[in-house]
Amino acid sequence: MSKDQDIFFLTGDMGINLVEPIQSQFPARFLNVGIAEQNLIGVSAGLANLGYRPFAYTISNFLIHRCLEQIRNDISLHEYPITLVGTSTGFDNSPLGPTHHIVDDWGMLKSFSNFKVYCPSSVSYAKNIVPRVLSQDSPAYIRVPKGNPINPDSADDVILIGSPKSEVAIVTYGGLVQECLKVHEANSKVAIIVINQIFPLDEDRIIEYLGGKRQILVVEDHVPKTGLYGSLCELMVRANIGVNIEGLGPTEPVFEVGSTPDYYFRRFGLDSDSLLKKCALIYGH
Amino acid sequence: MLASAKASHLGSNMSVIEMLVAMHLSIDCEKVRSRSVDRSRLIISKGHCAAATYAVSAEFGLLASDALINYHVNGSLLAGHVSHKVPYIEHSTGALGHGINVAVGCAIGLRARGFLESKVICLVGDGEIQEGSVWEAVMLASHLQLSNFVLLVDNNQISSIRRTKDVLNMEPLVSRFQAFGCRATEVDGHSVEDISNAIAEDGRSSSPGVVICNTVKGKGVRFAENDPVWHYRTLNEDLLHEALAELR
Repeated sequence: MSKDQDIFFLTGDMGINLVEPIQSQFPARFLNVGIAEQNLIGVSAGLANLGYRPFAYTISNFLIHRCLEQIRNDISLHEYPITLVGTSTGFDNSPLGPTHHIVDDWGMLKSFSNFKVYCPSSVSYAKNIVPRVLSQDSPAYIRVPKGNPINPDSADDVILIGSPKSEVAIVTYGGLVQECLKVHEANSKVAIIVINQIFPLDEDRIIEYLGGKRQILVVEDHVPKTGLYGSLCELMVRANIGVNIEGLGPTEPVFEVGSTPDYYFRRFGLDSDSLLKKCALIYGH
Repeated sequence: MLASAKASHLGSNMSVIEMLVAMHLSIDCEKVRSRSVDRSRLIISKGHCAAATYAVSAEFGLLASDALINYHVNGSLLAGHVSHKVPYIEHSTGALGHGINVAVGCAIGLRARGFLESKVICLVGDGEIQEGSVWEAVMLASHLQLSNFVLLVDNNQISSIRRTKDVLNMEPLVSRFQAFGCRATEVDGHSVEDISNAIAEDGRSSSPGVVICNTVKGKGVRFAENDPVWHYRTLNEDLLHEALAELR
């Protein structure tokens, strides 16, 4: 914000012990609109009308689900370079219940063709996102998982971990990357493809990595049909890639409490043990 | 425009003509024309008064008069709700309870940029203020003491299909907005002079201004006045002639 005088940070009364330095250092470009998310987006659009580059911050479910019409009408239609910064993804807020499970957010934005959606898998990639969105004139959603993982230590949009010749590949992003890395550590025959920019996809790179596989597993903390699984199915049909593909992710709301995300990972077969068993079955042993 | 396009919203358009004229008279339209960043902003939150907005915009030289015939025509940009793709329209609206939030954002932006001589005038309908997002915007404008923000409420007392007082009574409007921390006044919404004076007065306050403009839905077209059906009904040839004869 010190380098770019047009950055304006807005919060919907979220970010305790996080947003205070922004407020104290840049009081003229900091605004807490209160618990009023629709206004958060509308006010951001008004600031964009004045040439500002607003970053609108709150928990992802409040940001996307409540404000979908504002996102469509006031951001996307106007092509405003507003960045939505949503914290928590998937089951990050596990014991808080299904209203706080963020498993059907970014898929809704796929209808808005000018949006870019990032879901960083590591600190290395996360650091790269803000300069990147500032270099673009399009709306963006940064879906920020909890945690500060070091690996994969790369700022690439698509990362291949393992051999390009692996018969089985897991495609994943965000908060489930760490589970999938455990799978690769235990069974190096399974390749992991990490996607950090989840919409739109770097199609050429993904086609290159998926071609020739025997089985692809898409592992995500989002409803598969409208998430990455849906995107990859569409891409593979269009690119004529005839590979088995299975989507693993939450398919229904869960009311039973899980005190940590692991509970939900196990329920939907997204944990490393379940994934290892599935891969062993695919390999036939 | 409405007749040739067989378009709806006659009542909603006729109630805001004087409000739109007063809005344009209250700002420096030259700065709007030059797209100067420090221009005052007019935000039409009640997007379905697009026909009236475009007609008044043309009167003020912001839109070519001969373009108006393209309203609702294939390939034209003049849709039934205001569009920012039309010259000098700040924001596309249509879903209610959106424009006012954007208008408040503009007012915050003008202040942050140091453009203290400019203001934002926003037009909402009295049915529209049933949307919760409207009050999110009003609360913030009040909290931030946005004296550069003026809200005009088209109080024609009819929303989509019924009278507002029967659907969801928001009266008394003046004290309701005052309770939210605004400077609220009530004027004859068909008096350009009264509306203009109220807007000018609001600029001298330390609070956001709200002008309740008491209007008649369908004003000037007797068969359409105060009848909810003219939110949707379209004019046929006979009714068009009757309406034009009255307006003359």
